Amino acid sequence: MTMPAMCRGTGKTGMMWILGFILLLIKLVLVLAVLLGMAAALVLVERKLLGRFQIRYGPNRVGPFGLLQPVADGIKMLLKEDIVPASADRVIFMLAPAAVAMTSLLIFAVVPFAEDLTVRGRRIPMVIADLNVGLLFVLAMSSISIYGIALGGWASNSKYSLLGGIRGAAQLISYELSMGLSLVPIVMVSQSFSLVDIVNAQANYPFILVQPVAFLIFLVCSMAEANRLPFDLPEAENELIAGYHMEYSGMRFALYFVGEYVNMVVIGSLLAVFFLGGWRGPFLPPIVWFLLKVMIVPFFLIWSRASLPRFRYDQLMHLGWKVLLPLSLLNIVVTGAVILVTGR
Amino acid sequence: MAKEESSIAKTAAEMVKGLAGSYAVTLKHLFRKPITEQYPEYKKPLPARSRGRIILTVDPDGDERCVACYLCSAVCPTSCISMESRERDDGRRHAAWFRINFARCIYCGLCEEACPTLAIQLTPDFEFCKDDILKFVYEKEDLLVNHGGRNQEYNFYRHAGLSEKGEKGTHINEKPPVDVKSNMP
Amino acid sequence: MPRLVIDDLQIEVPEGTKVIEAAERLGIMIPRFCYHKALGSAGACRMCAVKFIHGPFKGLQMSCMIDAQDGMVVSTTDEEAVAFRRQVIEWLMMNHPHDCPVCDEGGQCLLQDETVSGGHGLRRYPGRKRTYHDQYLGEFIAHEMNRCIHCYRCSRFYQDFAGYRDLGPMQIANRVYFGRFRDGPLESPFAGNLVDICPTGVYTDRSSRYKARRWDLQRVPFLCIHCSLGCSTVASARYREVVRIEARFNESVNGHFICDRGRFAYPYANLADRPRRARVDGEDASLAEAVRAASGRLDQISMNAGPDAVALVASDRCSLETLAVLKRISREKGWRHPAVFPRPDLEHKTRRAVSRLDRRLAVSMRELESADFILAVGIDPVHEAPMLALALRQAFREDAGIVVMDPRPVSAPFDFDHVAIAPAEIGGCLSRITEALSALQADSAAQGKETRRPEAAGPLRADLDSRIAGIVERLRGSRNPVIVCGTDIVRDSTPDRAADLARLLLQLKARPCLFFVLPGPNSFGAVLLAESPGRSFSDVVQDIEQGKVKALLVVESDPFKNFPDRERLERALDRLDLLAAMDYLPTSVVGRAHIVLPTCTVFECGGSFINQEGRVQRVEPVHEGGIPVHQVSGGGHPPRVFSHEVPGGEIEAAWRTALEVAGYTNARDNLSILKIMAEEHPGFARCRDIPTSRSFRVLPDAGDRPPVCEETGDRAAPEAADTLEVVLVDRFFGTEELSGYSPVIQNADSEPLVFLHVRDAEPLGIAHSDWISIALEGGGLEVRAGVSAQMAEGVLVIPRHRLLEWQKLGPVPAQIPFGRISRAGKE
Repeated sequence: MTMPAMCRGTGKTGMMWILGFILLLIKLVLVLAVLLGMAAALVLVERKLLGRFQIRYGPNRVGPFGLLQPVADGIKMLLKEDIVPASADRVIFMLAPAAVAMTSLLIFAVVPFAEDLTVRGRRIPMVIADLNVGLLFVLAMSSISIYGIALGGWASNSKYSLLGGIRGAAQLISYELSMGLSLVPIVMVSQSFSLVDIVNAQANYPFILVQPVAFLIFLVCSMAEANRLPFDLPEAENELIAGYHMEYSGMRFALYFVGEYVNMVVIGSLLAVFFLGGWRGPFLPPIVWFLLKVMIVPFFLIWSRASLPRFRYDQLMHLGWKVLLPLSLLNIVVTGAVILVTGR
Repeated sequence: MAKEESSIAKTAAEMVKGLAGSYAVTLKHLFRKPITEQYPEYKKPLPARSRGRIILTVDPDGDERCVACYLCSAVCPTSCISMESRERDDGRRHAAWFRINFARCIYCGLCEEACPTLAIQLTPDFEFCKDDILKFVYEKEDLLVNHGGRNQEYNFYRHAGLSEKGEKGTHINEKPPVDVKSNMP
Repeated sequence: MPRLVIDDLQIEVPEGTKVIEAAERLGIMIPRFCYHKALGSAGACRMCAVKFIHGPFKGLQMSCMIDAQDGMVVSTTDEEAVAFRRQVIEWLMMNHPHDCPVCDEGGQCLLQDETVSGGHGLRRYPGRKRTYHDQYLGEFIAHEMNRCIHCYRCSRFYQDFAGYRDLGPMQIANRVYFGRFRDGPLESPFAGNLVDICPTGVYTDRSSRYKARRWDLQRVPFLCIHCSLGCSTVASARYREVVRIEARFNESVNGHFICDRGRFAYPYANLADRPRRARVDGEDASLAEAVRAASGRLDQISMNAGPDAVALVASDRCSLETLAVLKRISREKGWRHPAVFPRPDLEHKTRRAVSRLDRRLAVSMRELESADFILAVGIDPVHEAPMLALALRQAFREDAGIVVMDPRPVSAPFDFDHVAIAPAEIGGCLSRITEALSALQADSAAQGKETRRPEAAGPLRADLDSRIAGIVERLRGSRNPVIVCGTDIVRDSTPDRAADLARLLLQLKARPCLFFVLPGPNSFGAVLLAESPGRSFSDVVQDIEQGKVKALLVVESDPFKNFPDRERLERALDRLDLLAAMDYLPTSVVGRAHIVLPTCTVFECGGSFINQEGRVQRVEPVHEGGIPVHQVSGGGHPPRVFSHEVPGGEIEAAWRTALEVAGYTNARDNLSILKIMAEEHPGFARCRDIPTSRSFRVLPDAGDRPPVCEETGDRAAPEAADTLEVVLVDRFFGTEELSGYSPVIQNADSEPLVFLHVRDAEPLGIAHSDWISIALEGGGLEVRAGVSAQMAEGVLVIPRHRLLEWQKLGPVPAQIPFGRISRAGKE
């Protein structure tokens, strides 16, 4: 719909439409700011935490306690030379990082981050877009992020990047399957694809209590989706140097970087939405509950990074296809049986 | 069948134990005091044999020990040592120029090990940052010091029986020269 | 053919092969010090001990002392043998001074290698070390006797192989000493090989003293260009400077060794005053500017005065590439064909020699070693082609008879019959030998028929008859005779006469038998590429004087060195509108030239040369061109600025610059030059197919060409009573152009002597080593005289030494009246 058409809208409907649009903009800006801010902070948190896990301090030179480290990193990334290898496929090379960062951000569009607000009798949904196929959208977006990695690795025209890209594609496809299947019982229980409905379905108890297996599968798969240790084979340093983003530098590299950390936050919020009851919780305001739940996952990912060694490639494939996939299928069958028997 | 099941259970238990163990160790570390030493504020005294900036030492007579035998440049894994050997006016073999590119040096100490005259030695000094990479190229004048480093006594020419430094037969552990025109034993 | 087993590997070797040699053929290198392929076995060092398990010998034996025999089973890795060898190396190291860091052999030392491979590390013997005093052995070789392990290689080479007596072993037992009786320069012109042959650092190369280690050197299989033999060498360079020349084994040319001229002449490439920058009218210019200037002016002159007014001068030190390019551009531009030879007679003799050689006739230097009778005419082997003397020595050691027919007081490291006759008589003698031989052959073929007496071919002295008869007899009696013929002092027809004799011998003995010695390293190639009739430099001078030639492009040639009349040459060059010089040496011509285009030495750009037996030998560059690092830095450390440009690195090979001067800018790569060479002479087409490492001969197949002698009148000076014929000759040092620039050789060179016969000297009251003065039109020549009875009467042998102003003598052959020669008062 074009602007003139919008303005021609008569009376109250038109006004409401414009108001809704403004609200949407505010939500977008807020979410984007918070999300990117969290990603930047997460870089520092990760380095600090990793330091402490290894009995070190972590960064402590820039600003008090190294708190300005993300700022320094940002400035550094901005000022670095943007190198495009001579033999690279220029267009794809430049677009690929955006695909990764963009898809991670897009997923958040369907994540409800608080209870709907009611202002003057008007319900303001605390979600950017309450899609009725939100869950499918999430899965679709996380599939598209494979392109960022595979194309980035291919366009660099470097053997390490290519290997990293291929590994990334193979790994994401393998784990996506189990991830999607692990969410099927959630849909079966909540009877909806909308993330808002899923949160609302957990009004009494979070799904983690009824679907612990799905939770575990989803957790493992999302670690793999985020290319975090122990699943960081696409960028395995000791084999591939830096994998798919080896040839990237400056802001283009930063986009991959941002994408990865936004991904961590997004995974945290999805986990909160699907299994931990979203924003629901006693005593504290919903948004705080939501943030708390969201932060559990990044912490766990960092903790895993400090604790676990990297998988071998065959072990990775073994786990994905021979353990997680049958397990999630079994979980669906069991859930279906239980629903059939109990009738709800 | 039961045995197999129990072994699967056992493996699973082991896996869980392993996972939990590793998570526990790191979690424990999270609450320990870091052992990091804050470097510029606190400088740990280095052992005398730690490997830092390279020097060229002199023998007890005050003459440079280096005989430009090329062993250090041959053994150097990064090829950061280059030199040109010449015959000095007094017949002694020496390096007309001797250059170490510290921008390339990895301080492995192989040159020191290869040096047959104890001329090239590594010192504990490792703090010599430069703002220009060319300043890392040290010439012989920059490398030469006026002492013998770790061994003040050693003098290669007292052992090698060359006539440039003292007559034949006067060096350590040498008999007087054979008189080829005498039949006396 | 004995068949034996070494380390479980079976091999069949020819009778008489030593076990150590058989093992080497299997790729098993048994440690050795005293054994050397060229010198044979001595059994002195005890390093090559191996265990004989089965066969005629049992137990530990020296593998170099035992001939391989049927049924032998040998183990080189037997515990007992390994332990024995370990102990031997420890004993050999007992008195070693441990001075490897300051020893030039370090890094290429057989003793180092065998010590490490033998497993010896620390000296356990607590006693004191035996020491020796060192000797001064001349400018080439440094002596450090403490390092000696008494393998006797040096004395075996020096005395047995090379035939000189002044270096050898002294004393007994633990005191054996290798050296001269007194300090002094080594007499042998092959002494440099001691450096190669010594397994440790007793003899080291003084010219490269303390300069580099073997592992740092850029080493390339190379070629010696200091005489026409084309010996194989290894050239080593470091920091854009040639630092060492070593001998390289070549099965068909020089064997294992080279002469001192070839070994120590290399410093010409490192000269500080080498032309490194192009110059135009005395001003420094870039090479491109100078090329443009030369090209423009040459074109201008050929437009104004006709292309014939431009003449090219080259020399026989030019590579084949350069000569081919010069030929090409002179033809396409219409310029005069390059004059390569300084004198017309040299050009003629070389041409005759080259045209008479063919595949059946030509004998290589290594084949010469197996001859059983050698007739050398007009050649002083040590001075004109030094390695030929060593080859003759090997033939002599196998009991070959050697006759040298030459006017000079020839001295050589072998016994020979010296037929001392004047150059004019040599040809006649050869003809008489040929006639006598063919007559005798005819006699034996048709016995009973009327015999035809050989008639004297010229006015020969009576006492020669018997000697010629003797030579004829020996030629008849020998299985494998070889005729060696020089081209320098002989008359124009002599090479043809020698070839006639060789053809006859080929019919009789069916073995190759002709060996020419040519004037320079690439004379053969110059003649192949020359137009016919060739023009020599003296013709060019004549044309300059007549005003026909206005511009001269001198390519790697120094006419001042070779042209017999210096003043005339200077006058002629002053008449020129343009004198352009391309050279890598600081010659007089480069000093006078209007335009100087510096070129690369063979070390920097490689090149092809054809030696005297028609063998095309090609070499790759040893190092990239440019001013040596220590000259750039003035001895201190190299410049600290980073630059892609090498100082003095714009200089190119002469043929590339010549192509640019002629305006061919797109034919300068290596493929085009091979094409140009192949187009200029079909024989060079093979250069494209044969790898650089292999040589090939461009000789025609055994042509059934009749032995037609192109009869030209010999350029002889008018005979007159009471005169001495001047014979200009080459010497081992001092006359060859490139080696004359070597400071080491200049220091080592002895004073040049002018030789005359005792009976010529006596009436003049001249004794050996007196100063004499020779009065000439162009001024006097004061020189020390040598008086010898072992030379021809009536000749005055003057070396073309760089310290002698022989150029004053005027054209040769010349006659000098006795009255012009007198004792000088100078002491």
